[in-house]
Amino acid sequence: MDYKFDRRAFLKGAATCSLAATGLNLVDGMDPLGIMGGAWAADARPLIAVAKNGAPAQMARASVMAVGGMGRYVKKGDVVVVKPNIGWDRTPELAANTNPDVVKEVVKMCLEAGAKKVRVMDRTCNDPRRCYKRSGIADAVESIGDPAVTVEHIDERRFVTLPIKKGGSLESWTFCQDMLDADRLINVPIAKHHNAARLTMSLKNIMGCLGGNRGNIHHDLDGNIAALNTVMKFDLIVMDAVRVLTANGPQGGKTKDVKVLNTVVAGTDPVAVDAFGATLFGITANDVPHVMNAARLGLGVADLAKIKIKTIDLG
Amino acid sequence: MQNLRRASQWLVFLVFVFLFLNTEYKDNDVLAYAVNIFLRLDPLVAGAAVLAGRAVITLVWPALVVVGLTLILGRFFCGWFCPLGSVLDFTSATVFRKLKRRTQVPESWRRAKYLLLAFLFASSLFTLQFVFLLDPISIIIRSFTAAVYPAMNYVINSTLGPLYATPVAPVTEPVYGFLQRHFLAFEQPHFRMAGLIGFIFFGILAAEYFQRRFWCRNLCPLGAMLGLLGRSGIVKRRVSEPDCISCGRCERDCRMGAVEKDFFTTGRADCIDCMDCRAVCPEDAISFTGGVAAKGAGLDLSRRGVLTSLAIGAAAVPLFGSEAYRKSADPSLIRPPGALAEDEFLARCTRCGECMRVCIANGLQPSLFEAGLPGLWSPVLAPRIGYCEYNCTLCGQVCPTGAIKRLPLEEKKKVKLGLAEVDRDHCLPWKGDSECIVCEEHCPTDKKAIRLRDETVVTMYGETRSFKRPYVDEGLCVGCGICETKCPLTDRSAIFVTSRGESRADAPMLM
Repeated sequence: MDYKFDRRAFLKGAATCSLAATGLNLVDGMDPLGIMGGAWAADARPLIAVAKNGAPAQMARASVMAVGGMGRYVKKGDVVVVKPNIGWDRTPELAANTNPDVVKEVVKMCLEAGAKKVRVMDRTCNDPRRCYKRSGIADAVESIGDPAVTVEHIDERRFVTLPIKKGGSLESWTFCQDMLDADRLINVPIAKHHNAARLTMSLKNIMGCLGGNRGNIHHDLDGNIAALNTVMKFDLIVMDAVRVLTANGPQGGKTKDVKVLNTVVAGTDPVAVDAFGATLFGITANDVPHVMNAARLGLGVADLAKIKIKTIDLG
Repeated sequence: MQNLRRASQWLVFLVFVFLFLNTEYKDNDVLAYAVNIFLRLDPLVAGAAVLAGRAVITLVWPALVVVGLTLILGRFFCGWFCPLGSVLDFTSATVFRKLKRRTQVPESWRRAKYLLLAFLFASSLFTLQFVFLLDPISIIIRSFTAAVYPAMNYVINSTLGPLYATPVAPVTEPVYGFLQRHFLAFEQPHFRMAGLIGFIFFGILAAEYFQRRFWCRNLCPLGAMLGLLGRSGIVKRRVSEPDCISCGRCERDCRMGAVEKDFFTTGRADCIDCMDCRAVCPEDAISFTGGVAAKGAGLDLSRRGVLTSLAIGAAAVPLFGSEAYRKSADPSLIRPPGALAEDEFLARCTRCGECMRVCIANGLQPSLFEAGLPGLWSPVLAPRIGYCEYNCTLCGQVCPTGAIKRLPLEEKKKVKLGLAEVDRDHCLPWKGDSECIVCEEHCPTDKKAIRLRDETVVTMYGETRSFKRPYVDEGLCVGCGICETKCPLTDRSAIFVTSRGESRADAPMLM
């Protein structure tokens, strides 16, 4: 079976245009509103938005507004899958899962943009029911009370094997079909420490879209994360850095390891978002091998000088 | 009255099924219902646990209610309440509806249940508890948990499940979704010995072929106990002699064979107050009331038989007590968090399977012979199958006899089930094959019990490389086993838990 989706073809086209634009070295300033990242902008630099010092929901909204508003990514009648990190049986203050208020706000924005259906799901590490519940994400999203929104457990039947042509040691892996089938796929990771990958942000969050025994990916984690991201792509990233885990990640367990940064980052370039994310921990993309690998595979821009960063201070 | 009895059987069975289905994590750390109530109402379980465990167990107080009611009403429990009895009646009324039973089961077989009861009494008195093998409530919950329910899940998951990708999906998926929400387990359960446990259960059902209520008449030690308690109860079957036309229908229709050939005399230890005879009597000559004038048959029990059983029960204690496991315990005997010390634990555990049913990761499994034959089917954590969820306290909440203590979460997190150990000859980074860190990542303790050290290794190709190798901090490890469950190797895990260092051990840990 050939899994080709408009969304992906669209992104591919966008990337090509982006490259072309880079080649032409178009001047900055042709996008006075500064809202046009990627292909459509005259400024070829990828755009990310960083909202700071507000309430989590407020920051999520402000960051998405700054990259063009949800209407740019979600069209009327779209089926959207929102993919937070709900990996662990941990409460929000331990910063092991995406902040529930950020997830809720992203879902609300999708509805406002006219989404027909918004599905929230992740393939967890601990028992899925406990993770959904104790992360606060299920309750937060369900509190919207809209029948168009569903918090779903991953349907273990619905995984498809896709070839991995570029990078890494894997030849193929199974991916969640519900996510592939969605009109729009929104990545809502949390930025946190990870003992193997150094940090886990938007690129590493793809782990929750995968089937099978994911432990096997860890044999060459840095190469495989980048390679897996060449197969499945996200239309928008809204990264939670409200609280970040600075040690003992990805699971944590102590508030002592948690740092409050009150930041939310939005963008479409996963490498750019993660490269910025690294700076929140006092390091750079160069210190996070999987981000550099992803940049090498052409998944985005890691050099902060070549990224356009819009900062919104809500404080 | 007969209809009232049927209604009671259905109602109780539906409550039983409802509680069974709710013996599962439902987005709440504390279970909403007393799902173990059937076991706590069971005087046989209560008696054996108290006797063998040498302890007053307040959890089982509801059993006193059943004892009290039995003293008044006789063996009503079996006819009106027992879920296994109801399943047997249902089996006879459906599967064997048209069967003409030709085989005659000898009357003397009835004695077996008293002899079994005597055996269980004597062995329990000397701390060896074998009640688990024969207690009907334990049997039905254990069988549902380990065999019937997983099999039901398996059938539905493997028939309706794959249809999602076919044109009939619009019909089957809503049905499947409904079943998943209300009847199926969150994940397909898997249990060791499911086949054997299920075989015994269906064997008990199949015995209806020989006789209605074959199990209850001949074998059930709870029935024997309640029969003995209730034989001089106040409410009894009475036949009005002037009205009786000796048609014999009451004798023929009695599901327990409790009506003697004279139609007046009732085997009181066997009458379960089902009131069928009252319903079939064409002259309305039969009543179930209090009073004096009623003929009861004596117990057909020889003193010698009872004494022999008591002696066997007592003799079983030293026989099993000298089994080898008592000298050197199996290292894979990892008990649930909050389990009592081994002897006390086995004295109380009735192998009902409640803890295995509720175990969120399917990690608690019926033991094989890790704890010898007397420990058969008792819960052990099998970490390669499933681990103990760090923030979960459900097994302690459902144990009906307190064999597993109900611990507050903070206390439970401190309980050591055992200790993890890295198999350095098998572990990928230890061998220099590749990076991994999966065990460390999943280790749930606040300060990681599994920690990584960057170490230089010469690989089999002669390259010098650096790998993150896992080490276990034995002071922090709680033996939850998630590392063993999640180890990505496809054969045996390269990190494994044994019972070494478990909290409940009497002896100090040998490092």
